[in-house]
Amino acid sequence: MTFNIQYAERQSRLELLLRSFFGFLYILIPHGFLLFFFGLWGAILSFISWFIILFTGRYPQSFFEFQVGLARWQTRLNARVFNLTDGYPAFGMTHADPAVQVDIPYPPSLSRGLLLAKLFFGWLFVLIPHGFVLFFLAIGVMIASFIGWWMILFTGSLPRGFHNFIVGYMRWSQRVNNYMGNLTDEYPPFSLD
Amino acid sequence: MTHHPLPQPDDIPIREKEDAMGAYLMMFAAVAVGLPLPVINLIAAVIYYFVNRKKSRFVHFHSLQALLSQIPTTLINWGLVVWALWIVFTDLTLTPEFWSYAILAAVATVFYFVVSMIAAYKARQGKMYYFLLFGKLAYDIAYRIRDTPQSSEPVNKPPF
Repeated sequence: MTFNIQYAERQSRLELLLRSFFGFLYILIPHGFLLFFFGLWGAILSFISWFIILFTGRYPQSFFEFQVGLARWQTRLNARVFNLTDGYPAFGMTHADPAVQVDIPYPPSLSRGLLLAKLFFGWLFVLIPHGFVLFFLAIGVMIASFIGWWMILFTGSLPRGFHNFIVGYMRWSQRVNNYMGNLTDEYPPFSLD
Repeated sequence: MTHHPLPQPDDIPIREKEDAMGAYLMMFAAVAVGLPLPVINLIAAVIYYFVNRKKSRFVHFHSLQALLSQIPTTLINWGLVVWALWIVFTDLTLTPEFWSYAILAAVATVFYFVVSMIAAYKARQGKMYYFLLFGKLAYDIAYRIRDTPQSSEPVNKPPF
């Protein structure tokens, strides 16, 4: 899986303030509104795909591409929410964002046994161990975001370490989502890279 | 010739077969979103149809047949939901007529489920499968050769 958000050497303080105080109006509400319905559709396709994988051993390619497009859109939005990059996130499933790269290779076949194992024991071998680590990482991300906000305001850029940490957390979460969403059979590593 | 020739299973890409199969599985949409309302399935089938109908005639046919065939089941099930709500908010008496209608709705739903599963299986194999009434209608809409109007008079003209 490719998951990267390009590091911005310089960020606009004005955009930072606009995003922070009015972002909910011009970013979160319009994107959130659309993503709610697209997310519902994604949930329906994911549910149906589970049965299709069970019987055919394949994730339908169109459904898969929809899920990847949805992940890209959410990442574009999150990149702005976490102040990782400037600019307005594009709407839609097919738009390219030069600052955000998300790609999940299409698996030609998926394991039916693993599919059932994830359904019955996924909470045990994926959600609990990864959720435990991600919970503490999320606290770290919140602190890094808060401090990072002030650093962007005063220095005009987010420290690279903060950027890599936040992007690493998002990458990790995405890998867990991919695995539990049956987009891949590869167990997510315990790593930010 | 009034209709486009039908593609044979070997000519249809696997992606189209999967998209055609997916149309019939929209009947599980309500379960997926956790809202046991019959209309959710119909809305999902409508969305699926409009998203996929341009992909190919094969996908167009199956997604349209899946959509049309959902309408009667949805109406029957909605009747049951309304009737049940009526009973809940009025006298709480389950009449024999209600039970009769509930059994009819259950039989219709099970029948729809079975034929949809068969259709999904056939679609995955790249085969046509025609439902009673809706099959012919969907085939006609998806495969009919439409006459493009031959007008000798140009529509766009220069200003002088």
